[in-house]
Amino acid sequence: MAPPRCCQRVLLLVLVLALLGSATAAAAQEEPRWAPALEAAEGLAEELWGAGLPGDLPELEPECRSLLAAFAEGSAALTGCLGRRARPVRLCQGCHEHYGRLLALYGSIARAVGNSSESHNCAKSILTSDRLQIVVTLSEFFNETWEAANCANCLKNNSEGLSNSTEEFLDLFNKSLTCFEHNLQVQTVDLSPNNYTEVCRNCNETYTKLNDLYNNLQRMNRQGGESGHSAHLCIDVEDAMNISRKLWSRTFNCSLPCSDTVPVIAVSSFILFLPIVFYLSSFLHSKQKKRILILPKRIQSNASLVNIQEKYS
Amino acid sequence: QLTPSSFLRIGHLSNVDLNEDIHELQTELPRQRPNEIPHNEKLLSLKYESLDYDNSENQLFLEEERRINHAAFRTVEIKRWVICAMIGILTGLVACFIDIVVENLAGLKYRVVKDNIDKFTAKGGLSFSLLLWATLNASVVMVGSVIVAFIEPVAAGSGIPQIKCYLNGVKIPHVVRLKTLVIKVCGVILSVVGGLAVGKEGPMIHSGAVIAAGISQGRSTSLKRDFKIFEYFRRDTEKRDFVSAGAAAGVSAAFGAPVGGVLFSLEEGASFWNQFLTWRIFFASMISTFTLNSVLSVYHGNAWDLSNPGLINFGRFDSEKMGYTIQEIPIFIFMGVVGGILGALFNALNYWLTMFRIRYIHRPCLQVVEAMLVAAVTATVGFVMIYCSRDCQPIQGSSVAYPLQLFCADGEYNSMATAFFNTPEKSVVNLFHDPPGSYNPMTLGMFTLMYFFLACWTYGLTVSAGVFIPSLLIGAAWGRLFGISLSYLTKGSIWADPGKYALMGAAAQLGGIVRMTLSLTVIMMEATSNVTYGFPIMLVLMTAKIVGDYFVEGLYDMHIQLQSVPFLHWEAPVTSHSLTAREVMSTPVTCLRRIERVGTVVDILSDTSSNHNGFPVVESNPDTTQVAGLRGLILRSQLIVLLKHKVFVERANLSLVQRRLKLKDFRDAYPRFPPIQSIHVSQDERECMIDLSEFMNPSPYTVPQEASLPRVFKLFRALGLRHLVVVDNRNEVVGMVTRKDLARYRLGKEGLEELSLAQT
Repeated sequence: MAPPRCCQRVLLLVLVLALLGSATAAAAQEEPRWAPALEAAEGLAEELWGAGLPGDLPELEPECRSLLAAFAEGSAALTGCLGRRARPVRLCQGCHEHYGRLLALYGSIARAVGNSSESHNCAKSILTSDRLQIVVTLSEFFNETWEAANCANCLKNNSEGLSNSTEEFLDLFNKSLTCFEHNLQVQTVDLSPNNYTEVCRNCNETYTKLNDLYNNLQRMNRQGGESGHSAHLCIDVEDAMNISRKLWSRTFNCSLPCSDTVPVIAVSSFILFLPIVFYLSSFLHSKQKKRILILPKRIQSNASLVNIQEKYS
Repeated sequence: QLTPSSFLRIGHLSNVDLNEDIHELQTELPRQRPNEIPHNEKLLSLKYESLDYDNSENQLFLEEERRINHAAFRTVEIKRWVICAMIGILTGLVACFIDIVVENLAGLKYRVVKDNIDKFTAKGGLSFSLLLWATLNASVVMVGSVIVAFIEPVAAGSGIPQIKCYLNGVKIPHVVRLKTLVIKVCGVILSVVGGLAVGKEGPMIHSGAVIAAGISQGRSTSLKRDFKIFEYFRRDTEKRDFVSAGAAAGVSAAFGAPVGGVLFSLEEGASFWNQFLTWRIFFASMISTFTLNSVLSVYHGNAWDLSNPGLINFGRFDSEKMGYTIQEIPIFIFMGVVGGILGALFNALNYWLTMFRIRYIHRPCLQVVEAMLVAAVTATVGFVMIYCSRDCQPIQGSSVAYPLQLFCADGEYNSMATAFFNTPEKSVVNLFHDPPGSYNPMTLGMFTLMYFFLACWTYGLTVSAGVFIPSLLIGAAWGRLFGISLSYLTKGSIWADPGKYALMGAAAQLGGIVRMTLSLTVIMMEATSNVTYGFPIMLVLMTAKIVGDYFVEGLYDMHIQLQSVPFLHWEAPVTSHSLTAREVMSTPVTCLRRIERVGTVVDILSDTSSNHNGFPVVESNPDTTQVAGLRGLILRSQLIVLLKHKVFVERANLSLVQRRLKLKDFRDAYPRFPPIQSIHVSQDERECMIDLSEFMNPSPYTVPQEASLPRVFKLFRALGLRHLVVVDNRNEVVGMVTRKDLARYRLGKEGLEELSLAQT
């Protein structure tokens, strides 16, 4: 079992390094750094491959190796993309190309299973020949993330580019943001930093449109997506809406004020008063129901009377 | 019009059902005049009769048994199973119907109100939304209340007390009729849609029982259709067994708990029990759950996925995340104590309210108005609570069906609205499963307080509605509150998931109100598909019952008592051994001779002051001065059938070809025997004689005068008797013990009490 384990280790190393590299890269926002890391990993792999016995890794064909390398590269790219676009969330807009490519790559690795010709058993050697199955794990992770973000919802059906409604929504979102910014600048000039009435009044139209569009999208989604689809919109849209709602309601405090207190109190106290009237009037006017007692016919035994009266007293 | 010789007077006067002419009362007991008193709990109503569970083993019965061979009895057994299957299927279908209709109508109502509120929040004028909500509720409840109050008052309430009485052997008028079922089902739908603090689970039990009674008889007197099937089962004993199966099927459909249904039937319902019956009841329960699952799975679009649970689905508790440890046991027990106290408080309040209702709000119009007011107030309270609440929660990721934003920030909903602006079932599930932090303690506290009084006020209205769900909801609310405060006190310790405490609180509250233990434990376990919580739920329920019983009795028993039903408990009062049959029995008894004059029989039966149902038959000794020994017992219903078919001695001699009366003739008249007034007996026929020896039960149960009350009680209760003849040592009839004679002794607060009989 030594050779496969060795092979595993190599693969693992490759991928871990790739991931590590990409992660640090994402954190540092420096693109060029991940490429050397990957190269170093590949170099290490090559070194090991060269040093190992030739019969040790018989299954990994060159084609498979290149596929694997491409997968590693693709996953690193996707990871980087995802990480960089985590906040504010722009996953679906920015990373759908990466994801599509990776999906295709994984597909071509996995598809080889059907072709049982000896040269094309990459699927077997890459996907299923060890306990860890890192490629499968990785691709599952990406799929799950994609599912959770529900990106399919704001992409076109063939996953090429954003759908029209999403474009429209993002347009409107940008418009409202601009409106907010513009009005805030005006306000800071007016020397009233905590009073946002201007924003509330001027941007109300755009914001309401945005809100309505969002609600519409949600409704349509809920109606259309009965079969298995979750009720969520894609994360980009949701996050954009969240941001603008937070700005609107929390920062600018434009949400509706509590109104109508007097009429509500009046109406409710009227209704609450009705039962009291009802019970009082029925107590006073309704004839109390009387029961006619019927005396049982039985032997009046003193013993039993005594027995019961004793208990009463 | 009764001549002294028309029936025998034996020793001390005696009489079966205790009614006597008023003038007789005055002559014999001048010191005690019949008087009027306000309704109270220490009364027994005369309107309730007993069911005949004792088989009359007369000649006809023996003949029939001889005629039917062994194989035929086997088909009878198969028929029983078939009937149980049909009971299960129909009960399941009725449950589906209720569920689907309630879901759609309530959805419609909440959507309309929500749109209205959303509109007026922006524009101002929320008082109109309040009016709309209150009017919608009140008008829906009005319809529901009108059909109950004016068409079938027995359909009011949950129906569990009534079924309990029926299974105990008390004949509650109209309780198992088709008309009752229809009103019950419509009433339940309307009251749940009307937003009252009620559930639709309790009435399912009644519905199941009616279905069972209807199917087992193979006919409906309401529809005037006789399908000529299952004629063998047309008597009280068989019907009672099927009714207990129907009640179990109802529970099992309501909660998705087949085992819980069987145990419910055992604990609450059936006073008579055997293993074969248990099997059939279990079968009916299973079939009922299965039917409900299949139909609902088709309705929800995933056909034949049979894991769809009952009417109420408490959702699954993830047992990995929500385990419990030994330290929590005292906490659970404490919750049981709280549940018991709150339950007792609920019952005590409801007791006073019910008493007031019986005394003052007895006219149907008033009852309808009251129900409407409660509906309007429920809506108002809900609205005001939602309006005043400042508890906003993010809408994303929550399972709120009708999120009300009101004055919350965009993207948030009012948390109070999840509890009030929803059907009670959904609110319970939300309280169990919403993630920690979905409710703030203030919201829960106010909700518990308000809902407690609303639910207490609602139970006992003239609408058909159950108390299960409101109790669970109250309990879940304070349980969750308890869980939250616990985690606050322990600084977020591991065992502080509020959902778990909500479940325990719900169990405690329900246990404190209805006082069931065994069946409720199993129902809760089955409804949450969780065995892990079995032990804590059991502990909680036991504690709640013990604590609650210390204060007042359970809600159902209380209502049975308030309705003056002669209900026989398992045992006679413990301190009653000094009472003997001689003091318990009623006397004098109206007896018939074995060969009696038709005129006499007609006169006795049509005497309005005595609605006796059983008559001891004595030796027809022509010498009236000598008292005669007991020979048998004959029932009013049998006499009526005899008179109807004119089975007179003279006629038998006259025409030899006359058809002999069979047991079938008696069964065909069951259960609504024609009144004596509808039977015409000519003057000539009055002089004929009627021979009862073939039709009477030749071996009625008797007790000597010296038998103690517990002894009499045991015999009566265990055998399900209706009449127990008291004889002296010469086998002469001295008295008769009936249900009301036994039920009037009760163990009160100061010892043994005696209830009075009253005309209601």
